[in-house]
Amino acid sequence: MIRHLLKLVWNRKRSNALMVLEICASFLVVFGVATLGLFFLDNYRRPLGFEWKNVWNVRVGIARAGGSPGDNGSPEQAVLFDRLLREVRSFGAVEAAAGTAVTPFDQGGFGGNWTIDGKNVEMALDEVTPGFADVMGLKMVAGRWFQDADSGLAWEPIVIDRELARTVYGTADPVGRPFGKPEPNERQRRVIGVVSDFRKSGELMPNDNFMFRLTDLRGHGRTPSNLLVRVRPGTSPEFEEALVKHMQAVAPDWSFEVLPLAQVRATSSRFFLTPLIVAGTVAFFLLLMVGLGLIGVLWQNLLQRTREIGLRRAAGASRAAVHRQLLLEQMVVTSLGVLIGTLLVVQIPVLDLIGVLSNRVFASGLLFAMITMYLISILCTLYPSTLAARVQPAEALRYE
Amino acid sequence: MLKNYLKIALKILGRRKFFTFISLFAISVTLLVLLVATALLDNVFATGAPEVHAGRMLGVYRMTMKGPENTSTAPVGYAFLDRYVRPMAKLPSVERITITTFAESVVSYLNGRKIQSSMRRTDGEFWRVLAFDFVEGEPFTAADEENGRRVAVISETTRQRFFDGRPAVGKTLEADGQSFRVVGVVRDVPVLRYSSSADLWVPISTAKSSGYKQGWMGHFSALILARSPADLPQIKAEFQSILRGAEKQIPDPKEFKTLIAGADTLFEGAARLFLPGPPVVDPAIQLRAVLLALMLGFMLLPTINLVNINLSRILDRASEIGVRRAFGASSRTLIGQFLIENLVLTLIGAGVGLALAAVVLRIFNASGLIEHAGLQINARVFLYGLAIALFFGLLSGVYPAWRMSKLHPVQALRGRSA
Repeated sequence: MIRHLLKLVWNRKRSNALMVLEICASFLVVFGVATLGLFFLDNYRRPLGFEWKNVWNVRVGIARAGGSPGDNGSPEQAVLFDRLLREVRSFGAVEAAAGTAVTPFDQGGFGGNWTIDGKNVEMALDEVTPGFADVMGLKMVAGRWFQDADSGLAWEPIVIDRELARTVYGTADPVGRPFGKPEPNERQRRVIGVVSDFRKSGELMPNDNFMFRLTDLRGHGRTPSNLLVRVRPGTSPEFEEALVKHMQAVAPDWSFEVLPLAQVRATSSRFFLTPLIVAGTVAFFLLLMVGLGLIGVLWQNLLQRTREIGLRRAAGASRAAVHRQLLLEQMVVTSLGVLIGTLLVVQIPVLDLIGVLSNRVFASGLLFAMITMYLISILCTLYPSTLAARVQPAEALRYE
Repeated sequence: MLKNYLKIALKILGRRKFFTFISLFAISVTLLVLLVATALLDNVFATGAPEVHAGRMLGVYRMTMKGPENTSTAPVGYAFLDRYVRPMAKLPSVERITITTFAESVVSYLNGRKIQSSMRRTDGEFWRVLAFDFVEGEPFTAADEENGRRVAVISETTRQRFFDGRPAVGKTLEADGQSFRVVGVVRDVPVLRYSSSADLWVPISTAKSSGYKQGWMGHFSALILARSPADLPQIKAEFQSILRGAEKQIPDPKEFKTLIAGADTLFEGAARLFLPGPPVVDPAIQLRAVLLALMLGFMLLPTINLVNINLSRILDRASEIGVRRAFGASSRTLIGQFLIENLVLTLIGAGVGLALAAVVLRIFNASGLIEHAGLQINARVFLYGLAIALFFGLLSGVYPAWRMSKLHPVQALRGRSA
């Protein structure tokens, strides 16, 4: 049966080759869009690791006097930032406040590749003040978070997330262990605690290897460029104006811009989802176009095979049998297209082209694309093959 | 002859309505997507208010400082521009130069309401390099900038937000904790116009502290207006030689050794902004290649689809072709005829696509996804669309036409096609 079908398909190889190509190209389009969507969905279901409701981010614009790229700001600026933090905490509506270099959900950030114990580790990092864990509601799974006294230590304390702990230490307990080798002008880093997760880029992005460093506001260290405030639930937006006015009075040379994290989160989701929505819409119309095209082409093909079909009917084949044959032929063509597409797509994990794609997401994307292509193919064959099966044997044979 | 072909083409379209519908649908959707993309690019790169002199304008937007270990890319700092770029105004080929910050978000509070605007700090020359459309008042001057006067030019949207659209010149508004006296109101500028757009323009010297005067890297850019477009290559070369000289005076010579930047056209500047990866000297070629690859990649599926449909349509007409072949029509004539038929179909599809694109752009503009987007189908976009449609028509017509011309007359007359 299969061999017979293959032969039938081979006999019409020229027109089938084009159809295979078309199905293969559509398969790639569906796979691309589906995988992106599934990637977001897969990430969305994992824990975020922090609480963003009722947290406001105050971007602090500081005129950096040095202006060169590595500039950390002056000790006076760090001291002024420390004073700002204390003043902000004195408001009744404020539950906690902290400084951070990176805004949660924001696209920007620090990161890079580090060599730790011979392993090349890619990670993102942030520099924060001790209040950060309270503001963001981080969950410790081992060790402890930073304290004010930590800045005076002879070694540098760091807090890492579970992901990074697993990458660097495997199953061993990371607390108290040294973290890599220090550069000539740095202190030895040592892990003092592990937080459960910290997905800085938000729900739609995968887990990062993440490291927290402590910002020392006592005169040396980078002045944070953001001030995070956790306000009491139900705090009115009017409080924002009072807060900014107060900060402006404390630091007249600086600029302040308040954005609730809810708003940063919305902007970030839009940043990721807009391309998906645009690509999805375009892909939908492309598939509609392909579907209509297939119907037309199949229709035309079957019209030309009227005599062949008439002969089969005359020889006693039932309508259902003709129907089945045509459908199966199209399945063979579709399978060829899908197979070529799959062979192309499988190169992505083989060559490790997109590192963040997990096998599960990849496999689901592949499966989704396959099912979609078979469904479209079946749907488009139904009408033309019904027409063809309806051919009267006598009429078909009379043709010449 | 041509008239005959056109007549036949239209007849055929009417004959198999389902096929015609499928083809037209495919063509118009494909061109719709390409037209919307073109309109978007046109909105960013082409000459338009306020960048009416874009053809003879260059910008220094970003700079990369490179050292043995570190690489840092950022907008340029005021000190660098003031010291190395502003003196270029003395060149005979340069008409004038302006320095401006990139638009930054600032917050105002008005009667318990929060207003977010984007603000640009700039100088008096800005208003003469760019041609803003003033609906009220006039720009601030070089003297305003020198004396640090708290004056502002605002956009119509800003006037709406702060003053309910009533005349605003002479009134004051508060932004980022500073108050400014409005001297002029201009029409809104699409936010994609990255070298000029903002809601609020104020003098550089009104910055809260003078710290900005010191950095080589910062948040500034410079726009250079040449006397004629022919001068651009020479100015670009001059900028590169100035850059080489500046490398010898980098403030932290141990950390950074080389400078990479360019006096860029809008397109080159955008390429430098948007392209990821290591900085390159000529990013425009790269961006052009990326855009072309995207377009061709997108057109792949619709083209295969249309080729497929076209083939079916031709085979449907096997007997007609057989007759023509039998009476001596050459392959070339048949290919020509079919290509013309296909172009007619494509152009009709393009017309539908154009109409759809106009609707989609109107919806897009109203959605506010991009502020003051103002995307539209102008003559330029229309011409691009026409070129794309012709290209698409040829691309999808050549193979079927060739197949058609290869039909054997006897076979074709019998109504067979395989």
